[in-house]
Amino acid sequence: MDAVVKRLIKEIKKEGDQDAFAELVDLYKDKVYQIAYRMTGNGYEAQDMAQEAFLRAYANIESYDESRKFSTWLFRITTNLCIDRIRKKKPDYSLDAEIQGTDGLTGYSQLAASQNLPEDQVVTLELQEWVQQEISLLPEKYRAAVILRYIEDLSITEISDVLDLPENTVKTHIHRGREALRKRLGNA
Amino acid sequence: MTMSCENRYEILLDKYLDGEINQEDRLELFEHMETCEDCAARLRELKKAVMLVQSSSHISAPDGFTESVMNSLPNQKKRVTWKKWSRQHPFFVAASLFIILMVSSLFSVWNEQAGGDISVQGSRNVAIDEDAGTVTIPEGETVEGDLTVRNAKVEVEGEITGSLTVINGEKYLASAGDVAGDIEEVDQVLEWVWYHTKQIAGDVFPAGRESKD
Ligand SMILES: [Zn+2]
Repeated sequence: MDAVVKRLIKEIKKEGDQDAFAELVDLYKDKVYQIAYRMTGNGYEAQDMAQEAFLRAYANIESYDESRKFSTWLFRITTNLCIDRIRKKKPDYSLDAEIQGTDGLTGYSQLAASQNLPEDQVVTLELQEWVQQEISLLPEKYRAAVILRYIEDLSITEISDVLDLPENTVKTHIHRGREALRKRLGNA
Repeated sequence: MTMSCENRYEILLDKYLDGEINQEDRLELFEHMETCEDCAARLRELKKAVMLVQSSSHISAPDGFTESVMNSLPNQKKRVTWKKWSRQHPFFVAASLFIILMVSSLFSVWNEQAGGDISVQGSRNVAIDEDAGTVTIPEGETVEGDLTVRNAKVEVEGEITGSLTVINGEKYLASAGDVAGDIEEVDQVLEWVWYHTKQIAGDVFPAGRESKD
């Protein structure tokens, strides 16, 4: 995987090879989309953010340092974009929180409706909607740390690289995010 | 929950959940939780919250995501653009290459002809020097009617009663010389190429084919 990624990036850097870039998008699209979806809490914004992340990666590929992990660089672009987007929406946050929660439901609700799932699985989907809704209510810094730690399964060191924060700060963000989720999800 | 729980055991709980607790602290924490229901409940709730987040099913990018990204890329570098464009328009590429090849071969044929034989139409009263590539109408000589010379430099020292046409050459009119009619120099190469290109184009682009692509 790493060798493949290195080769693709060389080709992109050398001649802007778009076929190589398409392969790279295919390799990372699910992870990037997942981060964007968990951060923004809705499918439209997730697609928008994930796409923008890849476009920026392509435009700035020269600034990517090949001695570091490509995924770290790509995830940093993604989380920064999402955090910016969330902050821009802040002014009508109280109103948004509800809408955002509802938007977060659409993906799962549609899935449940379209696939005609048995009842116990629909319950699982409802539970997942609820979890996503609670994640969406976390302050964006805690949200990013929690998503990278518990959904993307990154180490504290990797998260500190992605978010460009000291490891202790990352830990504090995870602790606070975890504590907020405990209050909302812990006694379900 | 006491103040000491909030400080000391909250920190130990976080360390425990981060997988960074040492054996001594771990024993102390679990011993404490045997008597402190608050801290024990807190640990259960934290574990449950983490478990719920971790069990969120993984979401994949929507169908057509890669295509959508690729279609939004800014203008490609030229080389790549040409590569992509030529893949989409193979007919034009083939036709253009064909024309380029044909025109260049026409030029080489032309160049051979340009160095070809001198020909004179209209009079025999001229001096032809093949080596120098000249046709001379000698002083005192009169050409009746029109004269056409190909592939040579024409020196008019005598007279021409009609017109002089020089094809692929140049004329030189001596002070004594005289041409009663028009003098025309024709550089045939452009007309010739144009003529042949039209013929080729007719073969390559049969009527109606061009608009289709
Ligand atoms: Zn306690």
